Amino acid sequence: MDLPIQMLITAVAVPVFGAFLIPIAAKVSVPTRNAFAVLLGLFTFFAAASLMKLVVGGQTASWTLAFPRGFDLILHADMLSVFMASISAFVSAIILIYSLDYISHYDNQTEYYAMVVLFLGSMMGLVFSASLLWMYVFWEMTGFASWRLVGFFRSDKDVAKANKTILVTVFGALCMLVGIIMIYFDYGTLDLRALHGQAISYAAAGFILVGILSKSATLPFSTWLPDAGVAPSTVTSLLHAAVLVKIGVYAYARIFGVTFAAPDGFSTAVLYIAGASALVSAGAALIDTDIKRIIAYSTISQLAFIFLGLASGNKTAFAGALLYILMHSIAKAGLFLCAGIIEQNAHTKDINQMGGLFSSMPVTGAAFALCSLSVMGIPPFGGFFSKFMVFSGAAQNGNLPVLLMFLAGAVMTLLYLVRLFYKIFLGEPGGHGNPKEGSYTMVASVMALALIGLALGALIYYPSAYTELLTNNLGVNLQ
Amino acid sequence: MDKGLLAYLLIPLLSAVIIPFAARTRPKMADILANVTLLAGLANLLWLALRPSMIAGGFADIPGDGLSLLLVAAVYLVGLCVTFFSAYFIEEGLPNRPAYYSLLLVSVAAMTGVVTTTDFFTLYVFIEVLAVTSFALITTDDSSAGIEGALKYFFLTFPASVLIIVGIAILMMTLGSLSYENLRLFMASDAPAGPVTFASALIMLGFIVKSGVVPFHTWTPDAYQGAYAPVSAHLAGIVTKISGVYAIIKLATLLRFFDGRAQALSEMLMFLGMLSIAVGALAALKQTNFKRMLAFSSISQIGYIVLAAGLGTPLAIMGAVFHLINHATFKTVLFLNSASLEKSTGTTDMDKLGGMEHSMPWTSWTSIVALLSTAGVPPLSGFWSKLLIILALWESGLRVYAVLALLFSIVTLAYFMMMQKKVFFGKKTPASERVQEVSAPLLAPVVLMSAIIVALGLLFPYFYAYVKVVAERIIL
Repeated sequence: MDLPIQMLITAVAVPVFGAFLIPIAAKVSVPTRNAFAVLLGLFTFFAAASLMKLVVGGQTASWTLAFPRGFDLILHADMLSVFMASISAFVSAIILIYSLDYISHYDNQTEYYAMVVLFLGSMMGLVFSASLLWMYVFWEMTGFASWRLVGFFRSDKDVAKANKTILVTVFGALCMLVGIIMIYFDYGTLDLRALHGQAISYAAAGFILVGILSKSATLPFSTWLPDAGVAPSTVTSLLHAAVLVKIGVYAYARIFGVTFAAPDGFSTAVLYIAGASALVSAGAALIDTDIKRIIAYSTISQLAFIFLGLASGNKTAFAGALLYILMHSIAKAGLFLCAGIIEQNAHTKDINQMGGLFSSMPVTGAAFALCSLSVMGIPPFGGFFSKFMVFSGAAQNGNLPVLLMFLAGAVMTLLYLVRLFYKIFLGEPGGHGNPKEGSYTMVASVMALALIGLALGALIYYPSAYTELLTNNLGVNLQ
Repeated sequence: MDKGLLAYLLIPLLSAVIIPFAARTRPKMADILANVTLLAGLANLLWLALRPSMIAGGFADIPGDGLSLLLVAAVYLVGLCVTFFSAYFIEEGLPNRPAYYSLLLVSVAAMTGVVTTTDFFTLYVFIEVLAVTSFALITTDDSSAGIEGALKYFFLTFPASVLIIVGIAILMMTLGSLSYENLRLFMASDAPAGPVTFASALIMLGFIVKSGVVPFHTWTPDAYQGAYAPVSAHLAGIVTKISGVYAIIKLATLLRFFDGRAQALSEMLMFLGMLSIAVGALAALKQTNFKRMLAFSSISQIGYIVLAAGLGTPLAIMGAVFHLINHATFKTVLFLNSASLEKSTGTTDMDKLGGMEHSMPWTSWTSIVALLSTAGVPPLSGFWSKLLIILALWESGLRVYAVLALLFSIVTLAYFMMMQKKVFFGKKTPASERVQEVSAPLLAPVVLMSAIIVALGLLFPYFYAYVKVVAERIIL
């Protein structure tokens, strides 16, 4: 077996099966368990990233495990899957490192590490899977892991929110399964490679879209995401910022971007849904007072921008949207992790009780500012380039109402993030608790994410060249 | 009678006779004899079905129609889990301990008879033996709830037996024979089927009552809730499946639903199946007692099997058989866990429980595996069987049924999530203070069953190959 195929298999199998060894590692000692979990995260990242060279060279790698009735498990590394896998695994690894200190004084740590790694493994499986059925299988596995993670604190309220999360996303996933079954009977296969360039019926596309919107917390299925903020900040950044909600946009890119040619009118409908989602959630972010809920609303809003890029139907916008996935994952994970430091040291999530924290936690404040600037899309941060490409592509599409909705959304992004930063770090001290800087690994993690956001802006040539090549090579039906 | 499997009927029967004598001076002998009998039988069956040459050959050499063997194995597996669990569960002073094990073994023998017989009369005899043993088993701890459950079981299932015997009588008069083969040949011919379908419909109705399909479901929650804890696992896990659902699947294949004979019966069966899925799931949402909720969940899951049996295409039969086996595994886990909870806390009222996950982690995690499989969450076994059923429905153009059956999974997930939240998460309640995990022998059966759930999910291609052979043999 070739090395790339081995790497492909290990990138999925090691975290999925490794997750079940974490409870055994925990029997040895706590440091062993923590080290093992971080190693699994890092290993997964390197395995995924090692495929980068292969796919940039224009090759792909596939591995098939035969299942009856055309349900084969197919792992396939192409430019899109490797891109997405590398981002997800990278952010997950950072989050695992940050977790070492962050959750060290809570219950259920072993379960936490096992579930984070299982989530990472399922994510890898989902991203690399070239069979719609196995995408669904891994999709549900991520849902299971997120159920346990959102319910990490076990009060009634937490568990109820966790149940809401899994019920909404599983409902969406079941709708998606209906769509998958339609495709199965229409074409007799679920192999995405064989379905490349086919037309898809409205009904199947609609059912799949329900699944995508529910996983990506887009209107009308958005309410679970702010509620799920009861989870630890590491979880929210893993699930709600960087990785889980990106499953929806990834699936959209995979199914409607590079496999099927979406029917006319479908993309336009998606644009309007996304536009409404961007506006409504940005409005909610402007008035909420819970730091994590604000960032969660901001996530919903930003995801809509990704949908704008993916659904605009031209290459600039599509490449921009993929770039947006990268930039947003890094920056939003940074914001949530900063929120974790703030929450733990200020002992509150209410931004009205904060204020003047910049003097007591300058590094966190700086990282927060850098990440915010990237999310806002201020040059020279990475977020600027992705937002610019998405908007210029959308302008080419020429749908003026949608464009105006998103411009308003972008302005509101600016407003709520400035408001958030001001309320937390500037102004009069709220006098709450005795705030101090977070621990060394935590602060280092957020600073690393912030600086990577800056560096990606400076070196924008490489990621944008990659996404443009990807769009040219794989895109279907793009102008 | 499938003679190759006769030993699996006779040996437990023999043990059942020996137990009262052997246990006269040493009560523990009853436990040992029952467990050894079932373990030996199961080991034997596993060798028969899963020896390497058999797997390599794609199960082509499986004896008989394959279905009997598979179901006998399921009967032995659940029976073994229940007897092993009982050995550590029942109190030392239980006066009728040997009788309890004898009845369990007679019940296993009767179920073996049901699944190996090839004519309706023998089927009826074993179904009645099974009904009498179940009736006696429910009252093991002679509480008033047990008596009530047993009486309800009696009053609802014995009229069903009347329907079955009347149906069999008419079948005898019209067909002149009671063997399965004759019915199959008759249905395959072009002869007008009127009286034969009527007789079959009566028999089918009897078995529908015995399976607890809506609207004849009212006896199951009371019987399961009132029954002695391990007995409810035995009843829900396997007895109602064999005494009702298996016979429905068998009749569906004999009546050739797959080529459109007995169309009205087939449609009625599918409708009742869908109704069961819906009513069972919605009723389960409102329950506060763990065992009652599980009983309604059983009604809902049986609905899937009946829906598939009513469709009767080869793919649907494969799904039905697979789901029947899966249901035996996950319901046994959940009912045995409810028995463990009852033993540790003295109650199965979900409102009185809470925060059990730290004191009973194994029980909590095995419940999660079983409930996810019931709700059809991949990659566990329940997902694949449900998928097969839904594909079969879709393939036959019954898209509304397919989508409804799929979407009711979310209701299944919802009531189980509520259960998990009330029982295992949340704050500790007075009833769950100072509770400890039950002993390892009580956990062994549920851990084994959970492992089977995961294994059947991951090894789906092998199991699929097996049920494919079964479907080919019983349908063609």
